Amino acid sequence: MGLAEFVVRRIILVLPTLMGVVLLIFAVTQLFTPEQRATLYITSEKQMRDIDAVIAQYRLRDPVFVQFVGWFGQLLQGNLGYSRTGNGPVLSVLLRKMPATVELVLFSVPIVILLGIYLGIYSAVNRDKPVDHVTRTVSIIGYSLPTFWLGIMLIAIFFSGLGLFPPERLGSQAFQYVYLSGKWNPYSGLMIIDGFLNGQLWIVVDALKHLVLPTITLVTIQIALILRVMRSSMLESLGKGYITTAKSKGLTDKEVINKHARRNALIPTMTVAGLLTAGLLTGVTITETVFNIDGIGRWAATAAGGGGTVPDVPAVLGFSLFAGIVYVVANLVVDILYAYVDPRIRLG
Amino acid sequence: MLDEFKFTLKRMRKSPLSIVGIVIVSFFVVIAILAPVLAPPVDPRDPYAIFHDGYGPTPRPPGSPILDSFILSTGWKVHYFGTAEGQLDIYYGCIWGARTAFRIGVLVVAISLVAGLVLGSISGYFGGVIDEILMRFTDIILAFPGLILAMALVIALPRLWPIEFGVIGIVAASFIVPMVIGFFYPKLRGKRAVILGFAIVVAFAIPYVYVLGSPPIYTIALDLNSLDKVLIALALVGWPGYTRVIRGEILRIKQEDYVEAARAIGASDIRIIVRHILPNAIYPVVIMASLDIGSTVLLAAALSFLGIGSPLGYSDWGQMISYARNWVWTGFENPWQFWYTFIIPGVFIFIFVLGWNLLGDAFRDILDPTLRRK
Repeated sequence: MGLAEFVVRRIILVLPTLMGVVLLIFAVTQLFTPEQRATLYITSEKQMRDIDAVIAQYRLRDPVFVQFVGWFGQLLQGNLGYSRTGNGPVLSVLLRKMPATVELVLFSVPIVILLGIYLGIYSAVNRDKPVDHVTRTVSIIGYSLPTFWLGIMLIAIFFSGLGLFPPERLGSQAFQYVYLSGKWNPYSGLMIIDGFLNGQLWIVVDALKHLVLPTITLVTIQIALILRVMRSSMLESLGKGYITTAKSKGLTDKEVINKHARRNALIPTMTVAGLLTAGLLTGVTITETVFNIDGIGRWAATAAGGGGTVPDVPAVLGFSLFAGIVYVVANLVVDILYAYVDPRIRLG
Repeated sequence: MLDEFKFTLKRMRKSPLSIVGIVIVSFFVVIAILAPVLAPPVDPRDPYAIFHDGYGPTPRPPGSPILDSFILSTGWKVHYFGTAEGQLDIYYGCIWGARTAFRIGVLVVAISLVAGLVLGSISGYFGGVIDEILMRFTDIILAFPGLILAMALVIALPRLWPIEFGVIGIVAASFIVPMVIGFFYPKLRGKRAVILGFAIVVAFAIPYVYVLGSPPIYTIALDLNSLDKVLIALALVGWPGYTRVIRGEILRIKQEDYVEAARAIGASDIRIIVRHILPNAIYPVVIMASLDIGSTVLLAAALSFLGIGSPLGYSDWGQMISYARNWVWTGFENPWQFWYTFIIPGVFIFIFVLGWNLLGDAFRDILDPTLRRK
């Protein structure tokens, strides 16, 4: 089987799962009463007063499959409902709040992957030495820390205590300039890139300062997983016959580790990258809430009704659907990369 | 299995980290059991509600005297760990929070484990269409990040659950009737009894539902508080993982000679699964469960932190930290002025989860076939 054929086959196999994700979210909507389901489509107070009309228009009292056809039709047109907490249709709110989240992810993912792989190898090569014990203990600690508590502690130490790295996305001066002065051109929505394009370096610096603590939080929680997998696959790889061969050829330890062991050990680590995506989606929900960053995660958390308010159902369901699709697609990409790197998968 | 157990114990004695794990977990077991002694409830009808000494917003430091005369009359003198927002006693919440943590962790994992055992066995042993359907279903649930699906489920689950005794009767009958048939007519045991029993149940159930309707007298409403919803949501998110692991184990063991031998002497499917396959399949799953208790408690704490977990004022560590958040933000002059509101409950969660993770990690190292017995 060639790579192209493998890719096509995987994509076809993913479609039923995607459909399943959509069906599950639809099943969740069926747990609500028709009146609650009507809130998916209510955008104004006028409609609020005449809920029965909305129910009739979208056939919310009809049998399940009729409802599904209507709901799925709306979904295909990009109508995920109206979000009260986001003040707009779910899809456009999602797109509007995405850049803040993307910025956070762009900073934490490379650190998690590179540092995790490096520490995993280091730990495996020095197995059962003090370095190994320290790295593993630190990673277990990172795994056991509640994300939100770590965030709160970091705020207490670095912001309230030392006055160094503030929470939120921008300082008040930068916020004024970006949102209120009218001089700002949002090219990409990412403050780091837009700051350069607008020629306002001080905004880049400000945004970077605000990213330090959330990035540390996300990295601490995520790194344990990669580190652990990398360590054990490196240990396995170091025990293989080809390593003994390489050593007996008289290669240096460095060459054996970098050229022979590491390459093969990296392959299993790739599978974890899919899990990393799930962790990130969860991570940003908590991290953005703690640091008060206006991204999709905090929006979903607010929508779920923190503080005893009525939940914003369309927002939560829209976010869940989005998270499910992102996760499925991420796993598909990992599968394809896996086949690309390891011919045994696509040929076997 | 006994050999495995002895081997595990032997290895655990050599690993200092796993001993730390055992000590931590036992420590919390003791706290949870002794909660009524360590922190006698002020309102015995509702021991999980943290008592509050007035309603003042500003937290008070550890050692502050209790002012409320009613609470004083129950024997409490000081707030050992201080008070949180709304004068909720932190010490009381932390002690009873241990019970909440065990309840969430153990119950959610137990429900997922049992569901996984039943569905995984069926899926792995019988294969075919059932297997295909179940596996696609687990695929769908596993396609969501756990916290996010749990969040959606918590807000979607209705608070009141009408329990239809008729429906319960039908479900119970579909288990009992085949058993009775099998008992009296041994020739019909196994698949045939199940099919026959199911047919009988359906024959009675259809007239019940469509002709008699559901008389309201048979219905009671189960009132779920928000913590129960969290339990249900987390169990719904948790079972697919177990189902898949058990299915995999069963597929592996099904090929073994002793299973063939059991089949050859005419043992029934259920007997083969329960007596021959599960004892050999269950070990890795138990390890998975011990690791999962920690992460389940973390997930529940995160839901509480987002404000959709336990009800207000409930003894729950995650919720106690979420109160404390405001007091970190506002403490500009002295951020550590209210340290007790967020550090104490945070340390409780952290140590609890750490204990389970150390235990699970030690187990995993012991059981990892590539690293063991060297």
